[in-house]
Amino acid sequence: MALTLLGGAGALARAQTPPTPEYQVKAVFLFNFAQFVEWPPKVLGGDQAPIVIGVVGDDPFGPYLDEAVQGERIGTHPLVARRFRRIEDITACHILFISRSEAGHFESMAPRLRALGILTVADFDGFIRQGGIIQFVTVKNKIRLRINVEAAKGASLTISSKLLRPAMVVVQEPD
Amino acid sequence: MAFEDIPIQRKLMAIILATSGVVLVLTCATFLAYEFSTFRQTAVRQLSTLGEIIATNSTAALAFDNQTDAGEILRALKAEHHIVAAALYDQRGALFARYPVDAPERFFPARPGADGYRFADGHLSGFAPVVQVKGSQRLGTIYLESDMEAMRERFRLYGGIAILVVVVSSLVAYTLSRKLQQQISRPILALAETAQAVSDRQDYTVRARKHGRDELGLLTDAFNHMLEQIQAQNELLEKRVRERTAELESANDELEAFGSSAAHDLRTPLRAIAGLADVLLDARAHLPPAEAQRHLRMIRDGSAQMSELIDALLAFSRLGRQALTRQTVDLGQLCREAFQDLAGERSGRSVDLRLGSLPPAEGDPALLRIVFVNLLSNALKYSRPRAQTLIEVGLAEDQKESVPVYFVRDNGVGFDMKDADKLFGVFQRLHHAHEFEGTGVGLATVRRVIERHGGRIWAESLPGAGATFFFTLSTAAGAE
Repeated sequence: MALTLLGGAGALARAQTPPTPEYQVKAVFLFNFAQFVEWPPKVLGGDQAPIVIGVVGDDPFGPYLDEAVQGERIGTHPLVARRFRRIEDITACHILFISRSEAGHFESMAPRLRALGILTVADFDGFIRQGGIIQFVTVKNKIRLRINVEAAKGASLTISSKLLRPAMVVVQEPD
Repeated sequence: MAFEDIPIQRKLMAIILATSGVVLVLTCATFLAYEFSTFRQTAVRQLSTLGEIIATNSTAALAFDNQTDAGEILRALKAEHHIVAAALYDQRGALFARYPVDAPERFFPARPGADGYRFADGHLSGFAPVVQVKGSQRLGTIYLESDMEAMRERFRLYGGIAILVVVVSSLVAYTLSRKLQQQISRPILALAETAQAVSDRQDYTVRARKHGRDELGLLTDAFNHMLEQIQAQNELLEKRVRERTAELESANDELEAFGSSAAHDLRTPLRAIAGLADVLLDARAHLPPAEAQRHLRMIRDGSAQMSELIDALLAFSRLGRQALTRQTVDLGQLCREAFQDLAGERSGRSVDLRLGSLPPAEGDPALLRIVFVNLLSNALKYSRPRAQTLIEVGLAEDQKESVPVYFVRDNGVGFDMKDADKLFGVFQRLHHAHEFEGTGVGLATVRRVIERHGGRIWAESLPGAGATFFFTLSTAAGAE
């Protein structure tokens, strides 16, 4: 029942806003995060358990995210893309892109998402300040990353130092 | 010059140097070949390790499309001088970042090639995948190119060292071989030098110096032994020549003396015969028959004397040609027989023969018998004036000779020692024929027999005090 609803929402979103090439890059980045982040074993589940990349709110990726994860694996883990309507619906998820449509609801849900060990990603302003982990920022037409190391630590995530190298690392601003 | 013709010293050195040189060059070449292959393997391993490091570091830059970061990572290669070009290609195979940054695009392959490193044009280059999680999606490709300057540098150094080693070793080998080859060449050269000296100067007294007891030592010994034999034979030949010459000279002297003496001695009876015949033929003389008969008898006696002389001469000359048959002879027995043969000459005389003990000797019995007959006859003849004749025969003692010395002594008239050398010549007579008859051939015959036996004869005397004849049958040196 819930899945049907979700699928319907995704189809609706794709129909409403045609995706831009920027989101194609971001979709690949989302997939790439899976290679540079380590989850605690209990969050990840068994060896064959999928790594779930979720999108909550209006989906800006169109087909790109599905294309990016199609048939891919990280080690033994297959990759799966999922859409959620609301943050409250989220259960099993490892990387979560919070759409601009959900920006208003994020801050209150941030501690819960951290507790679930979810890597939260978004591209709206103030995301880091609200307790998000990775924010896409566009600098000179390039997509760059801002990473909140403290927030990642709070979610028990280990981010590869290699990922931190090209990123702008910020300490969590006071809530 | 053919190798066979060069001196043995240089030949030995050439062999030693060629052998050590070949060994050295082979060793160096093997070492260099091994080093070359090892170094190439090492170079590949090092470059692939380096590629792995760069690839591992650049995963995030590729994954999150950060060319600046990728460029920074590649710039770290500045520390590796031998890396002349490096590049990162993204997932789609487009050139993503390059090193050096200012290098023109043609330095880099437009598209990534197959993974792996290979040598081309003296450079080592290749591609390796950039992967973050093993088994997961490939993020891109890294390209590295090394100019192998390190290897060239290393090989220049090795080449230098190899040349130095070859040069130094060759010098050492040269010095050593100069010393060591003498072990073999010195004895050979000494032999060659000696052989040269022998053939140049015909000098067989030189000897090659022996250096050791090896085959060359044996050769030297054999060579020296050969020289000794040649020298000994030469000396023997020379001695023989000297002896023969002396014999010939003495024979010649004898012949001359014989010639004049024979002429003189034969002429004496001939002159008498001729004179007597003249008297007989002189018609005016009118010799009474008895006187004529006495003359004729004297003519006959003269011719008999001549005949006797001629017989003696014939016998004497036969002695020189007759072969010598040597056997063990009892000299005492011979002496006694000779004494008995002379019974006619002893008739009416009181003769005492004292014969000492004589050891057996080697010689021709017939000829030695002639010696005793002549010596005893001589003793009897010259002791005739004595009322009591004493003849002693024995072995002389206290003599310097190393061989037995026999003597025959009489108490006859003796002779003057200044005539001692005339004693044994043919027709050399110390006394007048009317004092002591004789042909003058006896002692010459004795000397000839003694000399043919290799012995020596001499005499000692004082006028009126008898004479002693000494003789030996061989000489110490000629005891062949």
